[in-house]
Amino acid sequence: MTKSAVSAKNVEMQFGPFKAVKDASFELEEGRFLTILGPSGSGKTTLLRMIAGFLTPTKGEIFINGQAVGAVAPNKRSIGMVFQKLALFPHMTAAENVAFPLKMRRFDARTIPDRVSQYLRLVRLDGLENRRINELSGGQQQRVAIARALVFEPDLLLLDEPLAALDRKLREEMQLEFRRIQKELGVTTINVTHDQREALVVSDQIIVMDEGEIQQDASPSVMYRIPQNPFVANFIGVTNAFEGKLTKVSKADATAIFGDSSLVGVLRNGPVEPQEGQKARGAVRAEQIRISATKSELNGLDAQFGGTVADVIFEGERILYEVKVPELGEVPIRIFHHDQNDFATHELGESVHIGWKSRDLHIFVAQ
Amino acid sequence: MNTSRTQSVIFWTIVTLSILTLSAPTLVVLGASFTSGNIIDFPPDGFSLKWYGEILGEQDLREAFGRSLIVACICVLVSLPTGTLAGIALAKYRVRAGSAIQTYLLLPFTIPLIGSGIGLMLFFGQAGVLGNLWPIGIATAVINLPFMIWAVSSSAASLDPDLELAALSCGAGPVQTFFNVTLPAVTPGVITGSLLMFILSLNEFLVSLLLVDARIVTLPVQIYNSIRSIITPDLAAVSVVFIAVATIAIIALDKLVGLEIFLKSK
Repeated sequence: MTKSAVSAKNVEMQFGPFKAVKDASFELEEGRFLTILGPSGSGKTTLLRMIAGFLTPTKGEIFINGQAVGAVAPNKRSIGMVFQKLALFPHMTAAENVAFPLKMRRFDARTIPDRVSQYLRLVRLDGLENRRINELSGGQQQRVAIARALVFEPDLLLLDEPLAALDRKLREEMQLEFRRIQKELGVTTINVTHDQREALVVSDQIIVMDEGEIQQDASPSVMYRIPQNPFVANFIGVTNAFEGKLTKVSKADATAIFGDSSLVGVLRNGPVEPQEGQKARGAVRAEQIRISATKSELNGLDAQFGGTVADVIFEGERILYEVKVPELGEVPIRIFHHDQNDFATHELGESVHIGWKSRDLHIFVAQ
Repeated sequence: MNTSRTQSVIFWTIVTLSILTLSAPTLVVLGASFTSGNIIDFPPDGFSLKWYGEILGEQDLREAFGRSLIVACICVLVSLPTGTLAGIALAKYRVRAGSAIQTYLLLPFTIPLIGSGIGLMLFFGQAGVLGNLWPIGIATAVINLPFMIWAVSSSAASLDPDLELAALSCGAGPVQTFFNVTLPAVTPGVITGSLLMFILSLNEFLVSLLLVDARIVTLPVQIYNSIRSIITPDLAAVSVVFIAVATIAIIALDKLVGLEIFLKSK
């Protein structure tokens, strides 16, 4: 049975009158990769810093390997951390940076050089041991920071948005690198980011936070397919949102009126017991809507509308259409079109048909 | 073309005049020190190094210079730990009443030297320690401490605040973090501040004048005493030696840490 490496029970952090983290609870199994995802100011970094021990929760308790760590100083916790701005020691070489935690944690001095070169090899920096930090490129500095965080074989690795400042290509390369190293060493990892793509790519488990609260805690695929509330639906992926009113509730699905249309969708339970007449929000992802010039091609789709193309944005691997559908309100509907073999595109102002399946419309009860 | 030429002429005239004005006192003293005559004069009367030979033989001046060096060293010894810690604390931590402390620390700088000099004279007089060199060292440290604090805190302010947290997560305790991470990172500021303190203390005249007695005069006071009797070119030669020491310190500073940090310190 896998055991819980990190868990939080009703953790709260209050700065003066402001609650940065409210009543957060989660559990993370050993060897897994968790990403805390949220916009800036959502409390994700505060939660990470409490786990690291830099902040003490005002309420609740954090457990590492089953032990409450509230009274344990950060330097007594077995946690390696990669910081947002890396925080490498500028007056030391790459190898000295990596050796520093070993010296501080009183490893046998004779084993230190071997260990340092082993970890520099792991992050593919062999040969650059004696470079000073400012003589290394951004990507190489990232690797030094990873080696420094892992060299003493911590129980837990924390990543505080270390990839945020990198350009896209390097960022995607480093995401895969994190994933490779994490799998190779099997170290339990908590990553913090505002980049939903990164979260989906690297994680076993995702926690979405907003305004200090955990919105959803699930695996990447569940998080993507079954968002629990409108915030998650909007934050992950490109989503069309509607405001309306609940008209009929059955066991699994619900009917709601959005604009002039009555639509059937899957009811995503909030904490509130849904009742007819309540305010409701709908969400359908851009890639789950089909677009066509002829109505016959949309056979089998539950919801179908006619509209006009308001914008066409070529994104390389896909085309983003914005389509005005009078029945669904003022805001144009965003649709991704991925057809690899069909280069035919719809023109601006062209009349088109769009449609989706009922199982792809999420209906949330507004709170 | 023509206007840009005129502009350039005006520009360089102003620059040249400014540089001349700034360096005039040094040039006059330098020139006067090389005179072969017996009175201090500019332009010098002939060229010789005899007054440099002369000051080597003057025991009073040599001893006064030695005392000034001791005072400067004491000043650095006192200001190094206090200024370093205060500079780091003010830059890095949100100290309670931080701005009040900052103002307080800068106070000696805003009080006219004659005022703080008299205060220090009364204080050390009461304590019965006048007649020693170390009170002068402490006095110059107190008066010039803001420079040390400036130098260190400008160095500390540019540090990534996560650096100390990173040291903690590497397993270093607070003391190890200070000596292994914080202190090395502010070393350029500490070196700058120390050299600055050394020069300022070496040159300090007014406060020294109030705190010395006839047995322990420092070099600036010795020169001043000499001017009041007969002005001979050996004083110019001593002044040049003085300027040379300060220049060497500045060059050392530039070689060790670069002058940018000194110029940056607000």
